[in-house]
Amino acid sequence: MAFYWYQSDPELYKAEVAAMTKFFPSFTINQLQDGSGRLYWRGKVQPTGKGGMIWDLMLIYKNDHPHASEGEYGGSIQILPVQPRLKEIADKVMPVVLDTYGTYDNAAAHGFGLGLPHIYRNNFGRNEEYFICTADPKYFKAGQNRSTSAASALSWACKWIMLCEMWINGEISDDLALEGNY
Amino acid sequence: MESNTPNSDAIAARRRALAEALRQGDPVVVTPAGSVEIKEEAADNGLSGIQVPDGKLA
Repeated sequence: MAFYWYQSDPELYKAEVAAMTKFFPSFTINQLQDGSGRLYWRGKVQPTGKGGMIWDLMLIYKNDHPHASEGEYGGSIQILPVQPRLKEIADKVMPVVLDTYGTYDNAAAHGFGLGLPHIYRNNFGRNEEYFICTADPKYFKAGQNRSTSAASALSWACKWIMLCEMWINGEISDDLALEGNY
Repeated sequence: MESNTPNSDAIAARRRALAEALRQGDPVVVTPAGSVEIKEEAADNGLSGIQVPDGKLA
């Protein structure tokens, strides 16, 4: 019995590769060298276009792809910014957030507990890293006939990056940054 | 982020348009280069891309 999703469902693997090749041809697929067997895509995007930052991203499939459950932010595809690191940005932003909301508890109650909107932390290798929350699990498609692809997750991530950069630059409000209607 | 390029006005105008699109909830697409564009403008400019699916951030 195949253990990995890309072995047990080769058609889904082909569909994932086809979607990424079509929509994000500069991204390449590889396998993590940590023994987990997980596949990942890596490439660069510039969501706000000229004048915006270039983001080096990893899109990492969990081995139960496609899958989504309550509290599993972004479903079975994790999006890790390699450069810039979200943790470094969040650490720089946090003092401003604390000035705005007065206390850490109040900032957390408003959705800024990690400094940036819609991120979560998780262990990755030996480090704790901050990942982009893409869509609410109820929007992550994980059925037998249709599932959310890495291409869809990356499009969500690009929109999040645009929103995050604009929020940091003061171009959009906290409310809009947190509303997160995609 | 400040820019001193000659077309900085165009860049600023584009960012204002994108910010307004966010406020309005207008549909956007992401081009193969990973740039977010307003769907209507992308179509007018002949740009292809994947439309960001509907949904709410987690």
